[in-house]
Amino acid sequence: MKRRTFLQLSGMTAASALLAGCQSKNEKLIPYLIPPDEGVTPGRASYYASSCSFCPAGCGILVRVSEGRAKKIEGNPEHPVNRGRLCARGQALLQELYHPDRVQQPLKRSGARGSGEFRKISWAEGLSLLTAKLKELQREHATDGLAMLTPQLSGALSTLVSTFMRSFGSPRHLSCELLAADWLRLAGRQSFGQPGLPFYDLAETRYLLSFGADFVESHLSPVQYGNAFGRMRQGRDTVRGHFTYVGGRMSLTGASADRWMPARPGSEGALALGMARLILDESLFDKAALAANGLRPETVLGRLQAYDLPHVAELTGLAQEMIAEVAREFATTRPSLAMAGEAVAFQTNGPESVRAIQLLNLLAGNLNRPGGVYPAGSIVGSLAGPENSFAALLALVESMRTGRIKLALIKGDPRYGTPPATGFQQALDQVPFIVSFSTLLDDTALQADLILPDHAGLESWGDVVPLAGSRHMVYGLMQPVVTPLHDTRQFPDVLLAVASGLGGTLAAALPHKSCLEFIKGTISKRVGGHKKGRNFETQWVELLRRGGQFDTDKEFGKGYRWAAASQLPDPARPRFAGDEKLFPLHLQVYSSTSFHDGRGAPLPWLQQLPDPISTAVWDSWIEINPKTAASLGISHGDLVEVASPRGVLRLPAVIYPGIRPDLVAIPLGQGHRGGGRYANDRGVNPLELLAMVEGSEQQAAWNATRVRLTRISAKGELVTAGHPQGSYRSDLIGI
Amino acid sequence: MKSSWLIIGLIFASGAIVAVMILMYILPLDFSESSPVQPILFSHKLHAGVNGISCRYCHRHVTDSRLAGIPSVADCRSCHLYISAEAPQIKKLMDYWDKREPIPWVRVHTLPDHVYFPHMMHIRARIDCSTCHGQVAAMEQVTRTASLKMGWCLGCHRQHKASIDCWTCHI
Repeated sequence: MKRRTFLQLSGMTAASALLAGCQSKNEKLIPYLIPPDEGVTPGRASYYASSCSFCPAGCGILVRVSEGRAKKIEGNPEHPVNRGRLCARGQALLQELYHPDRVQQPLKRSGARGSGEFRKISWAEGLSLLTAKLKELQREHATDGLAMLTPQLSGALSTLVSTFMRSFGSPRHLSCELLAADWLRLAGRQSFGQPGLPFYDLAETRYLLSFGADFVESHLSPVQYGNAFGRMRQGRDTVRGHFTYVGGRMSLTGASADRWMPARPGSEGALALGMARLILDESLFDKAALAANGLRPETVLGRLQAYDLPHVAELTGLAQEMIAEVAREFATTRPSLAMAGEAVAFQTNGPESVRAIQLLNLLAGNLNRPGGVYPAGSIVGSLAGPENSFAALLALVESMRTGRIKLALIKGDPRYGTPPATGFQQALDQVPFIVSFSTLLDDTALQADLILPDHAGLESWGDVVPLAGSRHMVYGLMQPVVTPLHDTRQFPDVLLAVASGLGGTLAAALPHKSCLEFIKGTISKRVGGHKKGRNFETQWVELLRRGGQFDTDKEFGKGYRWAAASQLPDPARPRFAGDEKLFPLHLQVYSSTSFHDGRGAPLPWLQQLPDPISTAVWDSWIEINPKTAASLGISHGDLVEVASPRGVLRLPAVIYPGIRPDLVAIPLGQGHRGGGRYANDRGVNPLELLAMVEGSEQQAAWNATRVRLTRISAKGELVTAGHPQGSYRSDLIGI
Repeated sequence: MKSSWLIIGLIFASGAIVAVMILMYILPLDFSESSPVQPILFSHKLHAGVNGISCRYCHRHVTDSRLAGIPSVADCRSCHLYISAEAPQIKKLMDYWDKREPIPWVRVHTLPDHVYFPHMMHIRARIDCSTCHGQVAAMEQVTRTASLKMGWCLGCHRQHKASIDCWTCHI
């Protein structure tokens, strides 16, 4: 330190000490101006049961509220999905409520699109603006010029939105999420004739084989399956369930396994069929199960002739002995269980690979039994959700591009969460008027013409049908635990207000005054509250107190069998975008433990949460095998350039031995343009790299892009929370 | 000649120091942690002592909460609309009310965050308020009389045969 700086610093310290000395260091005691009349006792907390709105798993939560402020979220012990547990993302939901950059009242665009300049307007003005736009469409008899984009909704909200769109006369309602389980519904329909999501009885199984299903961090219902995994390992006195993980990247789930089988990307389906053939060859299969499902071993074996052990070993890059050993263990340990995950599904041969894994379950007799899989263990019928929303997305992109869409109502942030290779972003710019319901100025809201901000989850009424986390009918309720902090309105309330403003068939179809009334109506039908002699209000209060309706005695159907008309799975050779010589490495994008598909990035607790594998915080990174890194001269923390046929990104390298040498991986969730002060311009969005594979454009194949790496410099500025090679450098975070 | 200058200089310097000290004494500057100057010179002596108002009339949550609670501005105002409405300190109170601002009282008795101190349990055990807060009813300006250090807590816990397990207070 220079002498001059030292003197300056000591002078400043002395001056600030003097100033501070003139004020008492004591805290302030701030009284209420007017005491709240609800009988709030300072220092005594109330707890409200509600449901987590972060991801589709829909866990039950208990929120501690003290002096009218939400303070802490924990899991609801009575909820069958999460049994009192809660993940970090659910805990961080508080910060959605208190986010300093929330949109506090309706905004109207005042500058150029994307400039982020907005003018504050009143709700009356905002609603009349939206109603006028909708009336204009009705007048021109172009009601199909309205598009509605939402995440995959459940419960009453789903009914409300589809009723709204149907009554208005537009078929263009897109419910699309990057990591939606469409692939699993599609495979379910093809194999079992119904599109429900399966329920895996992880806790009772003795041999678990996961094909890229990262159930500890993100797959379907992570809290439920993480907890069930613990019970599978330690919950029984005599058995400790065995776990083998198949996948090119060792995720947190993979790191918890007894054995890691790093199969080549896209070859997982072939591996499953290779195992199936071996099980049939050696007569280790469950004969009763095969007969019950109407399959004859000879026919199946005949179809699987191509998947002999040496061939499968060559396709997957695994040792023959290892494959044979796992196949024998899987077939002889009962009950066993095979799961398929996103890493497998988002390949060009994904749906067929997933069905190959389902066949493996069938052969080992794991269908519809404790410790196995219940193919219809979850919601079925009209509530099941879409099977290929990606095709619907592409159709919508086409109609937006050609100018047929005049008005887009968008809930969520599809502008961030859709790979640009689909052309969605450019197509959206063609839409003359965009309305966003975001709580933050996220990437979509920045492009919007009108923002009608939604409540935060903790301020909202709602109902949640949890996704695939229980065999029982579970129906969670959301209730506001605090008075809304800002001048915001719930998305369904806005739709109802607009419907009554438009009048006609819409107002007739949606006569409800508020979202609360709509939800109460739905639940009243459910619990039979409209019947005579029953007091619905008492039931309603009881449901709110418990956090929903949990019918643990009613189970979903066990009857689902392999559909007779269904073909045996036959995964083709995977295809990839990008020439193998120019782009030698496979790219895998995966759901980060903190951000899911990117929706967690605005919350600083989640940014600060170290990734369990790399311990990186507040940034993106790319995982590279040490061998690959050495051959390219890359060391830990270097800045590297990743080039794909679609785009180029620069980000720091993490040298990670738990990944195949021909594979690199980038977590999803960073690289927002908007999303508030904690998310914007932080890290990179790997979706920009993803390209469409020729010949499979109608399919979500997010793990089928090839890339090339180049080292740029040693200054990757990677911030980690405790890596031996780089200490925690909080000065790089810049908050 | 030179020494007389020096003497005059010294006198001036010491005079200046004395003046500053007097000024510091007169001005309501907050130097003390245990007896800070409050934004309104509220007299506990007048309210609790002379007028004999019970502590629980204002600190009404003391029996059922961790915190004793302090009265809201509306509570103060409701009495003082009729009682000595013309006094300068009451005018100050009404100013806060008119500005819709809460009064930023300065905390005198405080414990670190890692201590769990529930008022209601101590009241239930019939510990008098003055055991920790001193003779507030005789104080013009509230002054902390107890040290509020752990040893002091333990002394009283031992005397009353209350639990001295770590987890009793550090939960």
